[in-house]
Amino acid sequence: MSSSHALHEATDPPRGELQARSVTMHDDPRFKELRSRLLRFVVPMSIAFFAWYLLYVVMSAYARGLMGTDIIGSFNFALVFGVLQFVSTFGIAFWYARFANRRIDPLADELREELEEGVR
Amino acid sequence: MMTFAQEASSSGRLITVILFTVMIAATLGITVWASRYTRTAADFHSGGREFTGMQNGFAIGSDYMSAASFLGIAGIISLSGYDGFLYSIGFLVAWLVALLLVAELLRNSGRFTMADVLSYRMRQRPVRTAASVSTLTVSIFYLLAQMVGAGALIALLLGIRPGETYLGMSADTAKIMGIIIVGILMIVYVTFGGMKGTTWVQIVKAVMLMGGAALLTVLVLAIYGFDLAELMNDAADASGVGAAFLEPGQRYGVDVAGDAWQTMINKLDLISLGLALVLGTAGLPHILIRFYTVPDAKTARKSVNWGIGLIGSFYLMTLVLGFGAAALVGKDAITAQNAAGNTAAPQLAEEVGIHFGGEFLGAVMLALIAAVAFAAILSTVAGLTIASSSSLAHDLYNSVIKRGRATEQQEVRVARLAAFGVGVAAIILAIFAQNLNVAFLVALAFAIAASANLPTILLSLFWKRFNTTGALCGIYGGLISAVGLVFFSPVVSGKVDAEGNSLSLFPAGVDFSWFPLSNPGLVSIPLGLLCAVVGTLLSKERDDARFAELQVRALTGAGAEKAVVH
Repeated sequence: MSSSHALHEATDPPRGELQARSVTMHDDPRFKELRSRLLRFVVPMSIAFFAWYLLYVVMSAYARGLMGTDIIGSFNFALVFGVLQFVSTFGIAFWYARFANRRIDPLADELREELEEGVR
Repeated sequence: MMTFAQEASSSGRLITVILFTVMIAATLGITVWASRYTRTAADFHSGGREFTGMQNGFAIGSDYMSAASFLGIAGIISLSGYDGFLYSIGFLVAWLVALLLVAELLRNSGRFTMADVLSYRMRQRPVRTAASVSTLTVSIFYLLAQMVGAGALIALLLGIRPGETYLGMSADTAKIMGIIIVGILMIVYVTFGGMKGTTWVQIVKAVMLMGGAALLTVLVLAIYGFDLAELMNDAADASGVGAAFLEPGQRYGVDVAGDAWQTMINKLDLISLGLALVLGTAGLPHILIRFYTVPDAKTARKSVNWGIGLIGSFYLMTLVLGFGAAALVGKDAITAQNAAGNTAAPQLAEEVGIHFGGEFLGAVMLALIAAVAFAAILSTVAGLTIASSSSLAHDLYNSVIKRGRATEQQEVRVARLAAFGVGVAAIILAIFAQNLNVAFLVALAFAIAASANLPTILLSLFWKRFNTTGALCGIYGGLISAVGLVFFSPVVSGKVDAEGNSLSLFPAGVDFSWFPLSNPGLVSIPLGLLCAVVGTLLSKERDDARFAELQVRALTGAGAEKAVVH
């Protein structure tokens, strides 16, 4: 990219061929499948981890008795629950990466190549 | 036993100064190198988009694990026990929002700033102006908190206490010098090194921080024969509150005996803080622009996962460091040095060093952890400065003022000037604010990000009907409600301790507070969302084709910005 090249597309992304193809692609069954695969994973998962985290915060505020009970040796419920938040975060991150690598990337790449073919 | 400060005034202080100097020299070296490869706008704003997932993951960790988070959370744990851990969990879980809902879609659809995505299918100038106002507010609040902290911290790390002098500086002069030095360094990193230099400075810092924290964690655990339960029991005994030290409630959501109203407010405040922490991260502009520094969405995903791994392990280590400081250094010694506990980690390093190798090793360990903390300050403020300068140059200057007709050279020149301006403004503000209690600004920055930025980003990507009016109402509504509620909260005025000293920003006697919570998130996040929805429905504007285009681009990466080839 030459440095004198105006940044016009920064504010007004290129309309034209790619845009027309993208608008058509939005109704393509393969794109709908891609979007639905992604949303079917991220929406329930987001609700789940958010509820799981909120439960932890609410219990930290209102269930002090239970949180203070020792459950594993001298480790109390609060500490174990807290560490489980770490475990679930690591787990979901790993799970999502595996899911996206297998179920999202191949389809997204196929559609992207088709859309960009001959445009750039 | 000598106190921390007296100890630091001997050989330790010299080693600290030497390590600080070595680190400054090394980071300036990186900056000079990076400046040779920073020519285009993509180089300056996004480091050429050539970073690997692992590199960007380290830089993400670095942006996030500020000195406030490294020293602050260890300090909270050392003084209030479990509640510091609770704080860190919100910071970590927040990354799932970024991973699942924001990082990849933003990488595919935007270019340099948060506003690229927000304005994609809207009227450019008003939306970019709003996004820029929000970016600057969040970044400057965060920056101010970091810099005021930095000044005090450097004085403490050098062991200069009120009444003492070092190299001819009193504690007050050292504070101001600290702010000025940090400010000048961040200006130099950003104006010369751009995103490439800033990122490499951040990577170096993340490695130092993880290494330093790991070393200290292992040494603390070794003292307790790697028995975590014994360490925690020892910490609980030393805390003076016993088992309650290991449970929530010492700092957040405090039960006030006989005052049901205050108890309820405290608990709602905890939930409000929790919400802002978990929803704020994915709306912080300096975090969002990190996703543009990698070649594609898949690498953005990888970098978030690296970030989650690093940040998570770091907070688990912080738990050991905080409890270690409570057990080995003790509350009295920590608060004698700094009431907020910010020096707990360096004090622990010294104590552990002395335990294993006497006075000299104690001095070396102290200097080492002090240098890590200094690096932590520098890299976070640099990240905030580049976020501000990119938004000023790309959104306000090029898109709003020049209507997108500025050349790359002009935009980069303005970005450099903007970094300089933001840096100078931050130095001046921090010097004026240095004796004010500005720690609340970090939580406020998260609350604004969660109220103004995250809802509008998600609605842009997923709600077809969303439009310019909705985006403007969402950004300004979230921003004004978060800032406004804090302004009328006890954080700013009307909170006094038992002796009548002010615990607010304003002095005792001034009280215009009516909003009871210190954290606005519980009200401002739903309010921001509501404004965005109502604003949208009040306007007839809709562009289904543009929405289709954005969504296809966000999900497939078609038309997304490519890495710069040098």
